[in-house]
Amino acid sequence: MIKEIVVIGGGASGLAAAIAAKKKNKDVLLIEREAELGGILNQCIHNGFGLEVFKEEYTGPEYAYKFIEEFNSLDIEYLLNATVIKLDKVDDIFIITLSSEKLGLSEIKAKAVVISSGCYERTRGQITMPGDRPRGVITAGSAQRYLNINGFLVGKKVFILGSGDIGLIMARRMHLEGAEVLGVAEIMPYSNGLNRNIVQCLNDFDIPLYLSHTVTNVESDEFKRLKAITIQEVDSRFNPIKGTEKHFSVDTLLLSIGLIPDITLLDDFDIDVDPKTKSAKINQAYETTVNGLFICGNSLQVHDLVDNVSKESSRAGTSAADYIDGLVTSRQKIKIIPKENILYVAPQYLDFGWSFKELIISFRSSKKLEKAAIKIYQGEKLVYQKRRTFIVPAEMEQVSFPYSELSKDEDLRVELEEL
Amino acid sequence: MTKEFICIVCPRGCHVLVDDAGNISGNQCKRGETYVKNEMTNPKRVVTTTVRTVFEEIPRASVKTLEAIPKGLIYQAMDLINQVVITKEMKIGEVVIENILNTGVNVVLTKEIKRKEVK
Amino acid sequence: MLKTFFYSFLIYWKGTDKLYDYIIIGAGVIGSNIARELCRYQTKVLVLDKENDVANVQSLANSAIVHSGHNPEPGSLKARLSVWGNLLYEQMEEELGIPLLKTGAYVVAHNHHEEQELDKLAELARINQVPEFSILNYEEALLDEPNLSKTVTKVLSLPTTKVTYPWEVAFAAMENAIKNGVEFRKNALVTKIRKVGNVFYVTVNNNQEYQSKYLINAAGVASDDIAGMIEKKVPYTIKGRKGEYFVLDKRVKGFVNHVLYPLPTELGKGVLITPQFHGEILLGPNSLEVKDKYHPTTSYEGLTYVKENAALLADNIPINQIIRSFAGIRSTSDYDDFYIKESLEVKGFYHLGGIDSPGLTACFAIAKYLVEEVMNVGEIYSIDPNFDPLRKKKVLFNRLSLTEKKDLLLKEPLYGNIICKCEKITEKEILDAMHGPLGSNTIKGIKKRTRAGAGLCQGGYCEEKIIKMIAKEFNISPLEIAYDKEETKLFVAETKVKP
Repeated sequence: MIKEIVVIGGGASGLAAAIAAKKKNKDVLLIEREAELGGILNQCIHNGFGLEVFKEEYTGPEYAYKFIEEFNSLDIEYLLNATVIKLDKVDDIFIITLSSEKLGLSEIKAKAVVISSGCYERTRGQITMPGDRPRGVITAGSAQRYLNINGFLVGKKVFILGSGDIGLIMARRMHLEGAEVLGVAEIMPYSNGLNRNIVQCLNDFDIPLYLSHTVTNVESDEFKRLKAITIQEVDSRFNPIKGTEKHFSVDTLLLSIGLIPDITLLDDFDIDVDPKTKSAKINQAYETTVNGLFICGNSLQVHDLVDNVSKESSRAGTSAADYIDGLVTSRQKIKIIPKENILYVAPQYLDFGWSFKELIISFRSSKKLEKAAIKIYQGEKLVYQKRRTFIVPAEMEQVSFPYSELSKDEDLRVELEEL
Repeated sequence: MTKEFICIVCPRGCHVLVDDAGNISGNQCKRGETYVKNEMTNPKRVVTTTVRTVFEEIPRASVKTLEAIPKGLIYQAMDLINQVVITKEMKIGEVVIENILNTGVNVVLTKEIKRKEVK
Repeated sequence: MLKTFFYSFLIYWKGTDKLYDYIIIGAGVIGSNIARELCRYQTKVLVLDKENDVANVQSLANSAIVHSGHNPEPGSLKARLSVWGNLLYEQMEEELGIPLLKTGAYVVAHNHHEEQELDKLAELARINQVPEFSILNYEEALLDEPNLSKTVTKVLSLPTTKVTYPWEVAFAAMENAIKNGVEFRKNALVTKIRKVGNVFYVTVNNNQEYQSKYLINAAGVASDDIAGMIEKKVPYTIKGRKGEYFVLDKRVKGFVNHVLYPLPTELGKGVLITPQFHGEILLGPNSLEVKDKYHPTTSYEGLTYVKENAALLADNIPINQIIRSFAGIRSTSDYDDFYIKESLEVKGFYHLGGIDSPGLTACFAIAKYLVEEVMNVGEIYSIDPNFDPLRKKKVLFNRLSLTEKKDLLLKEPLYGNIICKCEKITEKEILDAMHGPLGSNTIKGIKKRTRAGAGLCQGGYCEEKIIKMIAKEFNISPLEIAYDKEETKLFVAETKVKP
């Protein structure tokens, strides 16, 4: 038996993709490695989810539940406690190797696959942080899970490196659960989290934010427990400035230093990878450079808002259904290239064989811009422009415009012009 | 002097400016104006946290205040919420503390408490 | 005063009911293998280690290389024991299920001067009786090592160089030793040693005493401090040298296939690129003398040095695949060879001092050399006919063939449940690591035994699952679970008021 579409991952992204594909009457199977659906939303107990999708504000578990209810009402087939350990494509068919206690090792065949495997947290190892390696240096997301799901506090005196949203949210959570949060250090001159989180997670509780600072030493006690950290101001090239050292006695250093798309399942494929998103390059249908292999959500690009994950993944699910229906007419494509003040764009390709009318481009700026114009060129021709205010790298931007008039031979360039 | 607020009503985080005359600008929607007015007189926040349950496989369940409560009451609210123990299966939205600290706001579950069925 | 007296009386009473033949201080790759070698004779052996696990200091953080023996001064113990030790690895792969990756090594030269040095090194290899070595030109070397730096002109090829998994070397030896009757006590810090008559009295944690006829000091970095408890003049001083490393994720497997060495200097073998048994690649180490030999730490300068020097060996090192950095310590001494001798002052007290590189290479040979040639155990104790040298190889489920996997799954479905998704470690493997003669109930102990948490996400995904498993298997609260030492608890408190 060959499934039409297999969705890997049952979090915000996978649920939306599966729902969209099922609504197009496709035979869908969703595979989740945890014991429940909902993914990381289950541990994100704070509010702020759903304003874009539902026009109402929900907490993570509530937002997940809305999707799980719809998923269940559509009778979509799914597996829990099953880990995909290998993904291959032989001729036009994908082979998904699964491992689980219940089924042992099994192989599932599919015509299309949607990767919704989320992201993982950057760890201490991926940045150069000198000093000891004691217990007590832990990623913010892990600490969040221990606190919100299991009910355990990892420390009582906490410092946070990185002003990503999880770090900010955890500053408030740990403070409210009785820990002392001594500060947050951010190596960039601006915060990497949403403004609202700076206000209601730090400012509300007088937790200081040290911009342009990083941790330059980690000390442990005789038992290899975290004892103290040193932070230092950095110059414009991120080198620590002598004489700016500040010491903090802490038992915990939470790391909120970034999320990286988990594309380990694509390791065996010869796909184009974007070094900026650290994920597969896609066309506007969320299809990788392997036909029929789609990717969306945080495994494609790390989002700030789950609402955007849902919308994007829903489009990816629809695309997968179109692919099954044979609606892709050609494979003629052009590149979409990030230029001036743009960190990355997704999609990286515009593929003219698909039946969409709108091209939606997500991007992040490479610096903070008070006022800017988003300009998209094809050759010398300006094909789109729009003014925006308060553009920061921490917040993903999107533009959307019809592309039927575009030339099929020349690449697109996306720019942010500072005004 | 112009005061700047960052609106926290939604994740957009508008920078809202209030001048000496009380003119509000920079907000992209009406809610931003209401937020800033409140922030200047009686700032309020939604509290999200967890409660204990008696079920081994779900040791904690998430809860929230259904509306924002005065900022000054957050710690007292936490103390009350920390004492709640869930002993039965419950649905999202069910009330775990009614009218917390006489604010008129209920604390409700944000996670369904359902014991896993053994298949 | 009275209390102290009463307390020590209790200790004496407790201690006297057993007289060991040998006490070994230190359960790294050296101490564990000596314990096992002693099992060949009818001896009562106790191993003490201050850590909460075997292989937790020098054996924990090193390059994992089984060197060919090309480097040490001819005629030295290091030369003899490393060539012999290298050979023994092949045997131990069979007997103890020691992991071995037969990589071979290239020592590289970049210019005429270095080529002359390379020739001298080849001459050393010849004198040390290193098998099968040869000199290759750049083009020949490039065939098997496509990422070799373009600046390389000539290489010394050492096919017998291989890579092991040092933790498993210690586990295997100690498990086999325990099976053959050795007792092992962890969390036992030796605080005092005395000898009265022919008996050694070894106090641990200031409150418990053990007695033995002979005492073996395999305390690695602490060996001079331990010796100082019983000798007036310790014949060597340990000058800890730290080495800093980067780990590249196993996705880079195949970037290099050989261990790549620069030419050795007085400071050691230099910054290397070393493929690891499980697919990762190590860059490092540097070699810096440190003040605090018990606290090797990483530094910007050190790690930058490692990156810069690794780049002299291979081009386009995928440094974006770094998943970890760490620092290890070498117990380098001021004596310029391994110091493996009986004490000149105290009869029956044996030194294993200054066992730095190639200590891992030589560990099996060191144990045999000590037992057979230094201590002449065969002249004191008779051979134990019941000694069983074999230890079953650990199941590495992810490495099995599909058929083998399916067969095992029929018997044991828990091999189907992946706990560590990066390294693909199953629930059954983790359960096995918790039980058995050297079972562990710590996160680090389980990581060392299974590799759960050693991959890309560094435990971010699986640690929570392992905590739950430990809590269930040992029937303890997560509040009681430690990362490594008992004091390194994972959590400080449970939230919410207890009903």
